[in-house]
Amino acid sequence: MAIRAQNSFWRGLAPYILLSVVLIAGYVVSPVAKTVFSGLAIIGIPIHFVASLPSTMLDAMQGRLTSTDQLRREAELLRERNLILQTRLHRFEFLETENTRLRELLAAAPQAVEKVTLAALVAVNLERGSESVLVDKGSADGIAIGQAVIDAGGVVGQITKVSLFTSKVSLISQEDQAVPVQVARSGIRAVVYGGGANRPLRVMYLDRNADIRPDDVLITSGLGGRYPPGYPFAQVSSVQRNISEPFMTISATPLSRLGNDREVLILWPENQRTMSSRSSPQGPEADQ
Amino acid sequence: MIGLSPSPRRLWIPFATLIVALVLIVLPMQGLIKGFMPDWVSLVLIYWALAMPGRTPIAVGWFSGLLVDILTFGIPGAHALSKAVLVYISASLATRIRVFPIWQQSIVVILLAGVETVILILIGYLAGEIIAGLHLWTAAVVAGLVWPAVFYSLRQARRLTTLGSD
Repeated sequence: MAIRAQNSFWRGLAPYILLSVVLIAGYVVSPVAKTVFSGLAIIGIPIHFVASLPSTMLDAMQGRLTSTDQLRREAELLRERNLILQTRLHRFEFLETENTRLRELLAAAPQAVEKVTLAALVAVNLERGSESVLVDKGSADGIAIGQAVIDAGGVVGQITKVSLFTSKVSLISQEDQAVPVQVARSGIRAVVYGGGANRPLRVMYLDRNADIRPDDVLITSGLGGRYPPGYPFAQVSSVQRNISEPFMTISATPLSRLGNDREVLILWPENQRTMSSRSSPQGPEADQ
Repeated sequence: MIGLSPSPRRLWIPFATLIVALVLIVLPMQGLIKGFMPDWVSLVLIYWALAMPGRTPIAVGWFSGLLVDILTFGIPGAHALSKAVLVYISASLATRIRVFPIWQQSIVVILLAGVETVILILIGYLAGEIIAGLHLWTAAVVAGLVWPAVFYSLRQARRLTTLGSD
């Protein structure tokens, strides 16, 4: 009231503060407002498009400037890798048939082959303080909140917001992301928390004599129903045992490139077979 | 756009600088560099609010903040609120700040960016979305460091128009 002299606070600023508060409250309280707002994301498409032009052009230029010699060398390299991968694949095929046979013997459901969608990155680190990327697939492609995102190395994160043509991926390095994992070597289960930007992941709640060492590979355990089991997740970088504390201090580095690649894969949830009891927002038609 | 007077007002130029700032905000960049990037939209808004305090409506700040929210998939209204407050503060203190030498203006910009960061963190906390990290604050400092460059380039842009004064 004392600032009446300026006279513009109550008439100028206050209405906008009120408007913002209403918007924020609506967003927090009502899911409808969330959907409306994600619809508005269409407005941003031209700006995102313009922002992605430099890197797109750079890519195109790189394509032009590569010499035949370079291409030949690259093709050679790829052929070699392909050969190696193929031989490995044969072994996997053998293991897979054996696995299904054994599973049938156990009368367990066979592991379904997952469907994936290739998505390109549109923007990286959207908000300061939150580790996230934007990809170019949205609800028009059937993407829904909760789908897991991977790249060639391993798990990248999960879809947390969806608009018509884009969706936001929260990376596993974000501080509020927790993923149930398993040590590939010993089978011990743990939960891994994100550590924030450019910081290692934290493996939590493993008691002092749990069997885990540096360089152990962590894979997703599939508990919690968000991430399908068996995907490479992280590699343990350090293990500290403190006698005074009940749990160990363990840090790990992600195996995926965390959105530094141009493309990622969005996994589709397996058929509701395993999660029929839980009504998780995983179905492609589920909308939040 | 083009008035009757011989020198055109070119009102679109301030809006064009805002659009450029919005594009800079979503420009894909490597993680580490991106963390240190200042909020270009805030810097542009501060400039115009200082250059023509009477004629930079708070609505412009509010709507460009809302656009930032939409572009970054943030909490709708968070940047809108913080940028409306930013325009209000800069416009009310404009006559005082404008006579400062440029390095003092930089300090004011750091403070303003800090105020905005505090608002955003508070809103994030209330809305249940974690916004944290040391680089939030380094970005505010970087905003002050790049202010001279922003100031001189936007002044060049403004001199194409007949709007405002130094």
